Amino acid sequence: MHDGHSANGHDAASVSRGLLDRHRAAPIARRIAALTAGVLFLLGIAGFVIKLLDKGTSDPSAWGYYAALVSFLLTAAGGAVMVAIATRLAKAHWRRPISRASEMFAVVTLYTFALLIPLLFALPSLSDHRRSLWFFGELNVPGYMPHIMTTLSFFFLALAGLALLWMSALPDLASLRDSSWGLTGLFNRLSNTWQGTSRQWFVQYHRLGILGALYFMMLVTTHFLFSMDFAMALVPGWIDALFPATHAHNSLHAGAALMLVTMFVLRRFGGYGDYIGLDQFWGLGKLMFALSLLWFWFWFSSFIIFWYGAKPNEQAVLELLMVGPYLPIFMAAFILNFLVPLFTMIWNPLRKSVWGPTIIACGVLLGTFFDRVRLYAASWSVAAADDKHTLREVPAAIMPDVADVMMWVGGLAGAVLVYILAARVIPIISVWEQKELLLYRMHKPFHRLAEVLVLGKKD
Amino acid sequence: MQEHVQLDQKQINKELLNGVLQMPKWWPGATAVVLVIFIVGLCAFGYMLNKGVGVTGLNRPVYWGFFMVNFVFWIGISHAGIMISAILRLTQAEWRRPVTRAAEVLTVFSLMAALMAAPLVHVGRPWRADLWVFPYDFARGVWINIRSPFIWDPSAVMTYLTASTLFVLVALLPDLAIIRDRSKGFTRVAYSVMCLGWRGTPRQWKLQAVAGILLSALVLPVFVSVHSIVSWDFAVQIGPEAWHSTIFAPYFIIGAIHSGVSAVATVMVLMVWLWGWKNYITPDHLDAIGRLLIIVATTWFFFFFLEWVFALYSLEAPELAMRDLQVFQWPWSGLFVLFLLTAFFIPVPMWLFRNLRRSLWAMFISTILVNVGMWLERFLIIIPGTMRRGHMIFDWGSYHPSLIEILMVAMTFAWVILGMLLFSKVFPLIPLFDIKEAMVGRDEIKVGRKTVPASIRE
Repeated sequence: MHDGHSANGHDAASVSRGLLDRHRAAPIARRIAALTAGVLFLLGIAGFVIKLLDKGTSDPSAWGYYAALVSFLLTAAGGAVMVAIATRLAKAHWRRPISRASEMFAVVTLYTFALLIPLLFALPSLSDHRRSLWFFGELNVPGYMPHIMTTLSFFFLALAGLALLWMSALPDLASLRDSSWGLTGLFNRLSNTWQGTSRQWFVQYHRLGILGALYFMMLVTTHFLFSMDFAMALVPGWIDALFPATHAHNSLHAGAALMLVTMFVLRRFGGYGDYIGLDQFWGLGKLMFALSLLWFWFWFSSFIIFWYGAKPNEQAVLELLMVGPYLPIFMAAFILNFLVPLFTMIWNPLRKSVWGPTIIACGVLLGTFFDRVRLYAASWSVAAADDKHTLREVPAAIMPDVADVMMWVGGLAGAVLVYILAARVIPIISVWEQKELLLYRMHKPFHRLAEVLVLGKKD
Repeated sequence: MQEHVQLDQKQINKELLNGVLQMPKWWPGATAVVLVIFIVGLCAFGYMLNKGVGVTGLNRPVYWGFFMVNFVFWIGISHAGIMISAILRLTQAEWRRPVTRAAEVLTVFSLMAALMAAPLVHVGRPWRADLWVFPYDFARGVWINIRSPFIWDPSAVMTYLTASTLFVLVALLPDLAIIRDRSKGFTRVAYSVMCLGWRGTPRQWKLQAVAGILLSALVLPVFVSVHSIVSWDFAVQIGPEAWHSTIFAPYFIIGAIHSGVSAVATVMVLMVWLWGWKNYITPDHLDAIGRLLIIVATTWFFFFFLEWVFALYSLEAPELAMRDLQVFQWPWSGLFVLFLLTAFFIPVPMWLFRNLRRSLWAMFISTILVNVGMWLERFLIIIPGTMRRGHMIFDWGSYHPSLIEILMVAMTFAWVILGMLLFSKVFPLIPLFDIKEAMVGRDEIKVGRKTVPASIRE
């Protein structure tokens, strides 16, 4: 029989107290990080204003790097939420200390949605009769269909993510409400009428499952629309049925990497070393390794068809995106997203460490950044081509100007800032999931072994 | 409510070896029937060898008919074993234990059926198969064309067959030793040889466990590459425009997993019905595989959707003509509707209901439907795909499968069933050691008023 106590002496009350106390504390490091991110974010706004005044919105090629930024944030932050959803679906207990940190990236998706709005003004309408998903000219659709549909999809993705975060945080918000720690009005509103009744818990589990499925569907839809309308449709002759799926896969890959880096920061600087341990790095490291292998497979599946088929329009696309002006950054993306993880993560001692997966994850994020730059900067540079069916001339690589760099730095800093602010309100480690774990684990003697861990799985 | 049936080792040995140490009543009759079908198919094959491929329904421009459909179908089914064994083993899914062996064996026999369907039968002159692998002419150094799918396919399929066979053999060793200890005379000698001196020492168990994990990890890239390569047989061509699509590799693989896992579910139901292993394959197992199938089927449908969206996106006349043929021209239109209903729209809504997922009959019918649908899917890719009309009207043929082709398709089905039946007579279809390990590592935890199943982690 199990008494609800874990072997290391924690009981539900001490877990609750420990995590909520840590949440209430406001360490100076976090304040400095938030302040720095805020300053850099302002720098990004300045870069945006410079770009707008200098180039306007009539020349899409000036906005390629900004499109890459939006795509990168959608890819990494959007995918990071999936870590919580997928591991909860698989009932993996090791997810518990990191699921909230993962769901918290929903606020970054909302922020990314805000960044999308200026990009809509730079994306040309379909009146140039480019090939598109919306069959403009064939069907009676408005020329701004890409803008409308992507906005809707992005909005509902952010909404689904926030709903998931709120639903998942409800019991913890109620704990904060009841512990009378400032912001009582806010927690009252946020925790609604949560009392922790059996019925509420039953509904909670079901809603988390449904919202997770909904979020995943919206993520795939958003990647589908964004990759089509903001990249592929801009390049004449680029017809790659796998690209939307590749885009979505890259999101899961970068999302896992982003979570690894976040876990490292929380463990090292956030004071959560007791909760985020090797299990989490090992589990997520394996997932990222598998996704790195799939990265290659997705890329190769597209590449071989274009290369072997040798059709002129497909050769031109290869020239533009891989072997032409963007070859160096394509190679960097290839090395960081596939080769480095392959030759390092295959080694178990490295996989089962804290530093190893974190360093590789930084490489994957950098690789994803390069990948998005080569795809979006290249696509937006040919948006004004005359021939709408074949890319006749591959444009030279567009180098980022000062404003682009400022927007990138500011854009990323803004994401960090909103994440830190969200973590100030919502506990970054799910208290109720940690407490639930105590119910599902016990230690017992087993044959000649001193003690084994027994883990239960609910229906 | 999850079921928890605790069985002792003696009972496990007795029940799971009932097909090996005794003769089930239905076994001789069933084996005889499939053997007859297999022999009839072999005769049809002999007839085709004697008369030439003219006895088939292949006709300009449809040079790929039932044989290629069957090839892709059986390669698809072969993905069952690795999906269930390797992936579920690596993710430590407990419910995999009673189904891994059957899934792996299904992989081996369906790969052989695939080899029968395409390289052996489809090419018409199988005795020249060596020319795909060895140089045409040693003296003049004329080497094979490594860019030909004729090289890709046999290489990929043979690698996969080798890896899958190894997978089965490694997992069989402890069970073979159990049979050895319970048999006499020549049978004992045979099992002694096959179990490679298994004594169950700690070192042997450790090596066996490590080999299982290593093989699981190593076979996964092979698993992905095999169906990718089969899909590239189609997709690298620019002739039939509808095939030249980057989506083919993942679309084929997820389709293969869809049909393969469904086939495993069918086999699970048959194992309960025929061998009476209801203590081992419980409604919980069907529930778990049903849930997995919902995810797999939905992903497959997403790729199907992408394939169609991009077919229309291209707005190229030949592509649109092929899609028109698939969807609006009789009899393809009827088959297309049947394909969609059986592959997705009937089974998936069924699996959404817990009671149906846990029902033997519902799972049997729904998973059979999936494989009817997936066979039709391959048929609809290949036949309308090759039936493109060029500028010369003498080339405007159609395709009607001949009796010879139908018999040879039946032969491959008979082969797989026959193989499974013969295997089950010699080896246990459920891994005994895996079940025993599960019994040892199984526990229960009381959470409030509920008891939930638990497993031991060292």
